[in-house]
Amino acid sequence: MSTHELTSSSFDELVSSSSVVFGIETSCDETAAAVVMGGRDVLSSVVASQLEIHARFGGVVPEIASRAHLEALTAVIDQALQKSGIGFNRIDAVAATVGPGLVGALLVGVSAAKSLALVLDVPFVGVNHLEAHLYAAMLDDANVEFPLLVLLVSGGHTMFVEVREHGQYQIVGRTRDDAAGEAFDKVARFLGLGYPGGPAIDAQAHLGDAKAINFPRAMINDGLDVSFSGLKTAVINHVRKFPSVATADVAASFQSAVVDVLVAKTLRAAEHLGARTVALGGGVAANSLLRSEISTACARKDFRVVLPSLAMCTDNAAMIASAGWYRLRLSGPTSLDAGAYPNLGLTCAI
Amino acid sequence: MIILAIDTATGAVSVAIANGKKLLASAHVSSDRRHVELLAPMIKNVCKQADISLREIDVVSVDVGPGLFTGMRVGIATAKTISQALDVPIVGISSLDVLARSVSTTERVVLATIDARRGELYWAMYRNDNSTCVEVKPPVVGTVSDCIVDLVDRGQATLIVGNGALRYQTAMAQSLEETGLSIEWASEQLAQPSATVLALVAAERALLEEWQTAGELQALYLRAPDAEINWLTRSEQTRFAT
Ligand SMILES: [Zn+2]
Repeated sequence: MSTHELTSSSFDELVSSSSVVFGIETSCDETAAAVVMGGRDVLSSVVASQLEIHARFGGVVPEIASRAHLEALTAVIDQALQKSGIGFNRIDAVAATVGPGLVGALLVGVSAAKSLALVLDVPFVGVNHLEAHLYAAMLDDANVEFPLLVLLVSGGHTMFVEVREHGQYQIVGRTRDDAAGEAFDKVARFLGLGYPGGPAIDAQAHLGDAKAINFPRAMINDGLDVSFSGLKTAVINHVRKFPSVATADVAASFQSAVVDVLVAKTLRAAEHLGARTVALGGGVAANSLLRSEISTACARKDFRVVLPSLAMCTDNAAMIASAGWYRLRLSGPTSLDAGAYPNLGLTCAI
Repeated sequence: MIILAIDTATGAVSVAIANGKKLLASAHVSSDRRHVELLAPMIKNVCKQADISLREIDVVSVDVGPGLFTGMRVGIATAKTISQALDVPIVGISSLDVLARSVSTTERVVLATIDARRGELYWAMYRNDNSTCVEVKPPVVGTVSDCIVDLVDRGQATLIVGNGALRYQTAMAQSLEETGLSIEWASEQLAQPSATVLALVAAERALLEEWQTAGELQALYLRAPDAEINWLTRSEQTRFAT
């Protein structure tokens, strides 16, 4: 694998605004398939969530996820095709997430996508899941201008990404320990709010006082990296010290500390890079406080803000098909002997 | 009837194309966890060798396990999607059936075994009846000693095949010698199920229309995920505690 070079669009002839890409996503706990035309026009997007299967374990269990993907696969592909209103013969390329993610889970989608490409005799495109999250933000907004600063926040990732052009990314800041979504999950579990933690804390926070407890905002005035493990420890220590504290107040104060840091760093990164547009991506981008605070902060600075719909924040295959269309135009098809890459970085070529 | 057969249930990737019972082309590679890298290019090459376009395939068949979970799923996801895209039926066959069929000329009872790791085996037993393989003991997972007990209980001359028993051959042969049972071991070359035998079994089943749709086909794991086993044990303990 090598870092992306500045790429001229040498594969322009492979895709057009009417090219249809079939996308498959199985990197974590959603089995998803979608049909997208011209990189933007979502004809269908089907997601089968495994949330309930994993809930009793308090997190995603890889072997259970892999089994569930295999069971859901055929029906999800079938529904995506049905809802798109097109037939298999109209598909011009098949894209699948090849990483990062759970290796056993990735293998199911990669195998399906390769065989679909083989049968239809069309290109296979391996897609980087992180790159796809960047495209998810753009799918809902046709007028995104580069350079763009994207805050990508999920259970597995927290990073600030500068997008200079299609396929040209630079991670300018990231978490040094826990991902933001991971911090939400851990704190929710500690507070007995269940799994997944993001929505649970978001809901509790509405009932509490965000100023009740002054939790630390680590490194808020310092650089573009973030850290959440100290905050998590502070929450645990506070609750142990004051067992009668209202859970809603803890949730609200914790969420406010996370959001303050994310918003401050996003704005700093954008200013630093001269980006006038800010976008969110990833599961935590569905958090209501993050959405409202980033909008307020961007309005104050006169930045444009792109908030993807909730369906585009969480894992889906429309973003895979969209990223696949752009990736095909930039780099051409992926070889059929490609594997699954559980630790694939954003700037690694496939 | 053109049959595509895919076997990725063990450390090998195996692909075959047959017209009825006539093998047209095949390939077999020891993969060691490179199933997903190898399978699609191998299907492409085997089709080319057989001078068959994928669109001409009438039936897809796949080894549904038991075996290596990640390996099995690569083959099953591939077979399901090919079957779905071509709108042709799919025939799922267990890895143990494939092993037994590869030694189907013996008069002995056949013990087919697949390595389940952690000192355990998947196994099933078969007997030949007019050159058809009849299952006499359905597939199970258990320890090597459980398997020996099973053999001794049956008390018949046995042919053992498959990478499961081969892994523990010395220990098994020793324990079995004391019982006086007549034991024969199949060649090491038959240790892993192969797509050429799979294609043959699939041809027989397809003639009887013993097939499924891509959506119906399920993997045969025989072993629950660890997390589920631990969770059940834990909830069992809590139940007893309260
Ligand atoms: Zn994601």
